[in-house]
Amino acid sequence: MAVASAALSTPARMPRPGLGQRLRPFAVHAALAGIVIAGIAIGRDVPSWFDAHIQSKIDQAYHWTVINNTTHWLFTWVFSPISDTIRWSTEHVLSFLQILRWPGVLIVVGLLGHRTGGRNAAVVGVTVMSGCGFLGFWDHTMITLSLMLVSVAVALLIGIPLGIWSGLSLRAEKVMRSVLDTAQVMPLYVYILPLVVAFGIGDSTAVVATVIYAVPPAVRITSLGIRAVSETTTEVGTSFGCTGWQLLLKVRLPLARRPILLGVNQVIMMAFGIVVYASLIGTAGLGGDVLTGLQKVNVGMAFAPGLAIVFAAISLDRITTGQRDERSDVDVVPTQRQLLLRRPGVAVAAGFAVVAVVALVAKLLGLDHFPASLTIDVAKPVNQAADWVSRNFRKGVPVVGGTGSFSDFVVVNLLNPTRDVLQGVAWWLIVAVALAVGLVSGGWRLGALCAGCFVGIAALQVWDLAMDTFSQVLVAVTLSLLVAVPIGVLAARSDRVERALRPLLDVAQVMPAFVYLVPVIFLFNVGRVPGVVASVIYAIPPGIRLTTLGLRQVPFAPREAAISFGATPRQELVKVQLPLATRSMMLAVNQTIIMVLSIVVVAGLIGAGGLGLETIYGLAKKEIGRGTAAGLAIVLLAIVLDRVTQAWGNRSQLVTRSSRH
Amino acid sequence: MTDSAIEVRGLWKVYGPKAERLVDSPDADLPRAELEAKTGCVVAMRNISLDVAAGEVFVVMGLSGSGKSTLVRCLTRLIEPTAGTIRIGDSDVTGADREQLLAIRRHKVSMVFQHFGLLPHRTLIDNIAFGLEVQHVSKPERRAKAEAILDLVGLAGLGSRKPDQLSGGMQQRVGLARALATDPEILLFDEPFSALDPLIRRDMQDEIIRLRREVNKTMVFITHDLSEALRLGDRIAIMRDGQFVQVGTPEEVVGAPADEYVRNFVRDVPRSHVVAVDSVMLPPADSDYCGTVPVGTKVRDVVAEVAGSELPVRIVDANGVTVGSIDRVTVLAVIAGGDLVSAGQG
Ligand SMILES: Nc1ncnc2c1ncn2[C@@H]1O[C@H](COP(=O)(O)OP(=O)(O)OP(=O)(O)O)[C@@H](O)[C@H]1O
Ligand SMILES: [Mg+2]
Repeated sequence: MAVASAALSTPARMPRPGLGQRLRPFAVHAALAGIVIAGIAIGRDVPSWFDAHIQSKIDQAYHWTVINNTTHWLFTWVFSPISDTIRWSTEHVLSFLQILRWPGVLIVVGLLGHRTGGRNAAVVGVTVMSGCGFLGFWDHTMITLSLMLVSVAVALLIGIPLGIWSGLSLRAEKVMRSVLDTAQVMPLYVYILPLVVAFGIGDSTAVVATVIYAVPPAVRITSLGIRAVSETTTEVGTSFGCTGWQLLLKVRLPLARRPILLGVNQVIMMAFGIVVYASLIGTAGLGGDVLTGLQKVNVGMAFAPGLAIVFAAISLDRITTGQRDERSDVDVVPTQRQLLLRRPGVAVAAGFAVVAVVALVAKLLGLDHFPASLTIDVAKPVNQAADWVSRNFRKGVPVVGGTGSFSDFVVVNLLNPTRDVLQGVAWWLIVAVALAVGLVSGGWRLGALCAGCFVGIAALQVWDLAMDTFSQVLVAVTLSLLVAVPIGVLAARSDRVERALRPLLDVAQVMPAFVYLVPVIFLFNVGRVPGVVASVIYAIPPGIRLTTLGLRQVPFAPREAAISFGATPRQELVKVQLPLATRSMMLAVNQTIIMVLSIVVVAGLIGAGGLGLETIYGLAKKEIGRGTAAGLAIVLLAIVLDRVTQAWGNRSQLVTRSSRH
Repeated sequence: MTDSAIEVRGLWKVYGPKAERLVDSPDADLPRAELEAKTGCVVAMRNISLDVAAGEVFVVMGLSGSGKSTLVRCLTRLIEPTAGTIRIGDSDVTGADREQLLAIRRHKVSMVFQHFGLLPHRTLIDNIAFGLEVQHVSKPERRAKAEAILDLVGLAGLGSRKPDQLSGGMQQRVGLARALATDPEILLFDEPFSALDPLIRRDMQDEIIRLRREVNKTMVFITHDLSEALRLGDRIAIMRDGQFVQVGTPEEVVGAPADEYVRNFVRDVPRSHVVAVDSVMLPPADSDYCGTVPVGTKVRDVVAEVAGSELPVRIVDANGVTVGSIDRVTVLAVIAGGDLVSAGQG
């Protein structure tokens, strides 16, 4: 019609570029090519004068502490008292658990579960917890549990007040956020080493490390909860003349109860996630058992305690999730007895009484240890199964070829080429590329940060190890995204798929990283591939989750508009949903990278080599300098990858923000 | 009517389990809350039939929740109707398969949304070209078209901006441009201007009136603003609880509300703004006239004449033939809104 013809007659005007302009891209390309050729030819290795002697300095510091740890004030007045207090607490918690004996502990689990989640939670909690006993690991579970309880208590004592503070004050939040953001990308083993220097090897270091690891989520969730209490609600409080404290105690905290409980739950889960790492520094308990099994490459030996950790984690998760349907209380008319029990004081007293009686009866009956007749030996069948799997699945499976062939494929086609490129070109070329990537992604400061981190890795004298790890991380991240994003897209588009996936994702979320190592060794033996595969499996669930979440959060209005113009579902996805979800997708990439990096060290245990192995080696042989240098290099890598992907996310944030009017 | 642009027959939309059962059942007439308690269903639209002539502006009005959005979305099956048939031009919408439906959405009907529904990551040009893009029109061609349309809606030169750099009014111009870019026969508007402030809203209404003159499209226009409906509509349908309670020209609706609900709607409208002289005119007078107006003139436009003179005003048709007259008493009656109006009509 009129409009169309007018449109067609509009001439397209394009300025003709001058000769200089046309030559410029060519010059840039030529310069880049020159740099790359130079990078392949010249100065491949980090020169020895570039050594910042960090390893030897750390070693010296460690020796100094070994000599002075009974005399220097820092030890006598700060580190030793802390470490003594922690040791005292864990010992007492453990002996308390032993006094309760296993029936008493199970009763406590049941009562707590009933209180927070009703009968269902109680039954699941108790059943799963007794699984630890059936596996024959009850006593070791109690050791781990005592460490865990002390760590969680301390983490909450620190985290909740900090969270409240940062929920109330903007300035506190700003400071806290920058600290938390850094803490989040710090893998645990990085601060384990300085802690070993300060507290020595043992339980107290493990507890302190766990606390440091678990405080950030406690702060974050509490603060979010406090902030989520709406402005109008607090205004009501203020209008009735509440003081600041009254407002906090009577309005904000009660309304933020649920998120704070969620924080407790998160802290417990985080703590479980690192029991195995903690055992690297000489703690006993389940973590140590898993570690021994892994070091001996004895799948069966690692499997049972690993399963016990998972059981304990699931049990505690159930009894602290607190999803009791509060409405169901209202519907039934309570009996006299129920009413009495609903009074908090009475309920607590009754609970104590029940526990005390059970513990006493257990003592009188001599139920000191979980009955050996009930335990099941899973190590042998698991080993047999592992043998069977490796005999039958490594090679010769029709079509897919078997896990051995897969392994070879990944090594030959992905890991080796990536590593060879990273190790083969000059180190300064990689620094230059990092500079360029940072520059393009987030400006000069980010460029400088990225280049600086790589220079730092060079100065730590762990360049080749770092490039080995870097190549594994790149391959693992790519594979995870290749799997997670399509599944996430599928789940976002189909409620049925999402419903089917959700329980799997929920379980995966509770699983500590090392749990994936065991079945992976089953299938892939040891080496770099199982490390990569374990990281991939570990990183896929959050990848799926974030992709789905991001796509589902895309506002409906633009999608509906697209459909109304006749966009097919695929066009809707590609042209509307994915672009609008880039920020969440970038978050998914970012999370995937962090997850992969956090498993790198454990992957070192099963033959992935690289920085992870170096860290463990340093710990095991007390070569603190070597271990620390490797650990620091991992952090530097993590910072670069984290910041760059965050910058990508922030750039797309500008786009997404405006989509909500 | 076979020449109508849109033809809807017996259209139902029921939300909830086993929705089809409620269609034409006695239960459907239960009050909303009762029905929901009994069956878990909500009837958003019941037994709607309508015809929109080519080139007509058909306005649907009603309170929030009366089912307007449901109706307009069912027309291209953005919402799947529970029962009934829809024909647009010569295509059967309700019986269309996937491909046919896409073709209808791509070529025949475009929609303008209350909250614009622009794609924030694209420039204005690429937003406007979106409909063409999903049709796989080549990039230079669709850009050129979009560029021209941008001029048409008065946003020339802003094509490389992003939507969030524009005010709400300008954004909706983009929404309008996007709908026009595919050169559809029919435009659907779901409360396109209710997110805009009154002055801008008036501007945009002028834009619609101008567009209508220039491109002559069939339009279905949803609004809950009566003055907007009266300004734009050739015919107005008043909707309540999912059905039409009255369909008619603006003056029919204002002049003779079908029931209390409609009366409440139109109560505040000065009738003299809506009622045309010929609908209340007296037979041609024996006396002289103080002036002459054509058929279709609104009553308020003769107020000045009858106020300045005792004589009536002559009303002529398109050929200049006198068809009737209107005097001071009739004008006053219209303004006062009394029964004299219907007396005059009778
Ligand atoms: N997905 C749904 N499920 C159940 N009921 C719905 C759904 N969508 C709409 N309804 C109901 O259908 C009725 C009509 O909704 P509709 O959006 O068409 O109203 P509307 O006239 O456009 O109102 P508004 O002026 O607020 O936009 C409402 O009562 C609404 O509650
Ligand atoms: Mg609506």
